Amino acid sequence: MLNDLLYRMRALFRRNVVETELNEEIRFHFDREVEKYKKQGMTDEEARRSARLAFGGDEQVKEDCREARGTGLIDTGVQDLRYAQRQLWSNPSFAVVIILTMALSIGANSAIFSVISSVLIKSLPYPEPEKIVRVFLTSNIYPKFPLNPFDFRDYRTHSKSFDSLAAFSRGDMQLSGGSTEPVRLHGFRITSGFFRVLGLHPQLGREFDVKVETPGNGLQVILSDRVWRSQFGAAPDIVGRKITLNAQPFTVVGVMPAGTEHPGNEYRSLAYGEDVDLWWPFTFEGDPTRRGAHYIEGIGRLKDGVTAEQAQSELSAIMTQIARDLGQGKSDWQVMVIPLYREVVGSSQRMLLVLLGAVGIVLLIACANAANLLLARAATRQREIAVRLALGASRSRLVRQLLTESLLIALAGGALGLGMAAGGVKALVSLLPADFPRAHEIHVSAPVFAFTFLVSAATGILFGLIPAIQASRIDPRQGLHEGGRTSTGTGRLSRLRNALVVSEVSLACVLLIGAGLMLRSLLNLIHLDPGFREEHVLTASVSLPGAEYKTEAVVGRFYDTLTTNLASIPGVEAAGAGSDLPWTGYDDNTSLNIEGKQAPPHDEFHARYHVATPDYFRALGIPLLRGRFFTAGDKPGTQRVVIINHAMAQKYWPGEDVVGKRVTWDDHPKETDWFRIVGVVGDVKDKPSSADTEPAFWWADLQQPFTSTDMSLVVRSTADPQTLAEAVRNEVRRLDPALAVADVAWMDEIVYGSVATPRFAFVLVGMFAGLAILLAAIGTYGVISYSVSQRTPEFGLRMALGAQRLDVIRLVLAQAAGLVLTGTVLGLLLALTLARVLKNLIYEVSPADPLTFGAVGLMVIAIAVLACYIPARKATKADPMIALRAE
Amino acid sequence: MADERLELPQGTLDLLILKALALESLHGWALSERLQQVSREALQVQQGSLYPALHRLERRGWIKANWAISENNRSAKYYKLTRQGEKQLEVEAAAWRKLAAAVGHLLDMA
Repeated sequence: MLNDLLYRMRALFRRNVVETELNEEIRFHFDREVEKYKKQGMTDEEARRSARLAFGGDEQVKEDCREARGTGLIDTGVQDLRYAQRQLWSNPSFAVVIILTMALSIGANSAIFSVISSVLIKSLPYPEPEKIVRVFLTSNIYPKFPLNPFDFRDYRTHSKSFDSLAAFSRGDMQLSGGSTEPVRLHGFRITSGFFRVLGLHPQLGREFDVKVETPGNGLQVILSDRVWRSQFGAAPDIVGRKITLNAQPFTVVGVMPAGTEHPGNEYRSLAYGEDVDLWWPFTFEGDPTRRGAHYIEGIGRLKDGVTAEQAQSELSAIMTQIARDLGQGKSDWQVMVIPLYREVVGSSQRMLLVLLGAVGIVLLIACANAANLLLARAATRQREIAVRLALGASRSRLVRQLLTESLLIALAGGALGLGMAAGGVKALVSLLPADFPRAHEIHVSAPVFAFTFLVSAATGILFGLIPAIQASRIDPRQGLHEGGRTSTGTGRLSRLRNALVVSEVSLACVLLIGAGLMLRSLLNLIHLDPGFREEHVLTASVSLPGAEYKTEAVVGRFYDTLTTNLASIPGVEAAGAGSDLPWTGYDDNTSLNIEGKQAPPHDEFHARYHVATPDYFRALGIPLLRGRFFTAGDKPGTQRVVIINHAMAQKYWPGEDVVGKRVTWDDHPKETDWFRIVGVVGDVKDKPSSADTEPAFWWADLQQPFTSTDMSLVVRSTADPQTLAEAVRNEVRRLDPALAVADVAWMDEIVYGSVATPRFAFVLVGMFAGLAILLAAIGTYGVISYSVSQRTPEFGLRMALGAQRLDVIRLVLAQAAGLVLTGTVLGLLLALTLARVLKNLIYEVSPADPLTFGAVGLMVIAIAVLACYIPARKATKADPMIALRAE
Repeated sequence: MADERLELPQGTLDLLILKALALESLHGWALSERLQQVSREALQVQQGSLYPALHRLERRGWIKANWAISENNRSAKYYKLTRQGEKQLEVEAAAWRKLAAAVGHLLDMA
């Protein structure tokens, strides 16, 4: 066996030597045979003839010897490759066009696959990520709701399904002290098992102990690698040091390693992965029997062999037990346990798959084009192929050779495309919406290389097979006689090419319709009235440390003074502060009691709550519908007031005049516990992509019922942006130099960013559709052009017989129209069935929208007819004299 | 004369080559002549099929080749049997004899 291998290796690597030896050996034999016959008395010529008859053809023997060598396949493979390369070299424009087309199409596929590979396929950066689950509450009203801390503690104590169960909630902190400006850091409050759930360990120090969950056991913090380096110069003695957060001293107990990914959260969300700066302990405070407040999120690592469903049932049972222990009735809430993966990527999965489908269609069109080009070229090579068949080449060998050519083209295109994809991926990532999951993990990686290679090879075989089989079906006699002109071969050949063009046009139609639907959806979203006016509005957020701003009165006065000062900045029309901004994920709710109304059983009146200064609404451009805004007169000691939105008025006081009605939060309210409704404001849409608005109300800033320390500033001004931002910072600094001003952004940027996902999807599908129709137009042009060149004598004859130029043009257009119309109709039908896939991605547009379908149909026909303009004109230039002479 | 020669059954060419080379090292043409001689022109050995067979046997390691100057002063490729080839020859010859005996036996049965 070793011999066998050595022999084959020699045959492979020292092919030239082996070939030469073979030649020598054969010639030696032949010469001796000739000598033998000459010795027998024949003439030289006769001897040669007899020897030839006895021996057989040299080439045949050599072929057999080569086969016997066992390197046949590779031998012929290399030969085919060299031949293919020569073919391409000799016709550079053809090679460039076809390789470039494949490069663009394969490159686009690789780019999209890069995104899919990094976002959907690659596992999350935690050990055994499939075991990590999120825990929510769910009900009919709220499909995903956070947990109550004491409920969570009971789950943790009693549950046996989890290796570790933890909870976390958003808790940004202000870092001050030291030489630099105070800075706001993203932080989370976590229970002690949090990092154990994720499977991560601090690089310095340790995790939180359970003891710290009880208030009063010290203020501790764990830093992220980035903050440790940027704020503390990667000091090796950081563990044990005290730093000032929110005006209080916190001891650093640990530092997490670089690349610690945040698992994402729902409530005041920080997008997945976006670096968290610090973690500090969550403390269980208050009455453990009161389970009404829900504000922490659950995350857990399942034990081996436990499924999410089993954990969910167990937690539900625990919940029922809790209710029993506390003497409460059955709750409307249910526990929900969802795998983390689904939480992180779930929403983007469908869109990515649609994109993959779209780009796959582009590749199919490119393949059809390539096949068409190869078919066209095969027609001109008929003579050469006929000769080779006549000389004894086997058809399968011929097919293999032609396939090698198309594989070479495809692999070359794939390699070039991979390069394009690398750049394309970078551009893609920059276009991605800010909250796109795992965006920072997207790059061209090993799976993408493998994918590109496989796709290239498959593509090469796909578009090469038909031309290769077609070419090998040539009857050698026909090819040789005609001297290159195809006659009966044309029938099948042109039918194939026509079929390819029709399929190209139909596929391009499908993509164009997809893009058209997405465009309409995007426009619908953009033109949705958000309920506020976003131009010229600067926003920022300020967070007052609780240790220094202890009472509602102090907090209220701060923001009241700040907004008054901001309003006096030159150029400012209105300045206000509110507990939140639209479309930032704020969703704090409460139940309430309405005077004179009883909530239906198992339901309650509930609404979103906010706090705002008087000018908040004017600054944002929210219209006043009835009554009045807050004034300076709404302060502690005077009648407590609220402003509600239109949705709340409609829901709870349908058909009534709402100004003057009263609400309260006490179950047995005194006179001073009642809040009077003084105004109704217009609805602000909850999300950019929906027309819904939740009932909501605002408390006046000076009458805030709890310390609303974190507020967003809203400043409407036509002043220069830079100076305005600086002026806002100055005003804040004037009131308290230790405060950081964070999240400075313009409202119209926020609004623009809110439709980032549909815009992203549309841009991509639009590009693919553009590419597709371009390829289809080129394909149509190619086929019509070729057909015209074949029919030139016919046209010349017609014109000689009296046909006008217009008649000839009409003939050409008729042929083109036939192809294009068939393709368009097929495309529209195909789109009708496929468009259903888009249903969840488009807003207020029917997947069978007639306007889009009609527009695309007309556009495709117009483009295709345009593509035939040049060939049609060329047809009219047919010289009747030349045509007559040729015949 | 060509019509009177018997066609070689499949696989026996290898056996004949091995046997011929067992006696002495030969180049391709000499081997061809020898085979024709020894079979007294009774066997039809296609000269063209000799070389593929030689190359195949060389690949299997049963014969070994080297270039040397031949009797007419030209360099030629000589083949000779290897030790493995000798063993293979014994095996195949034994098999052939067994086969021939069995077939003959069958034919003798009236």
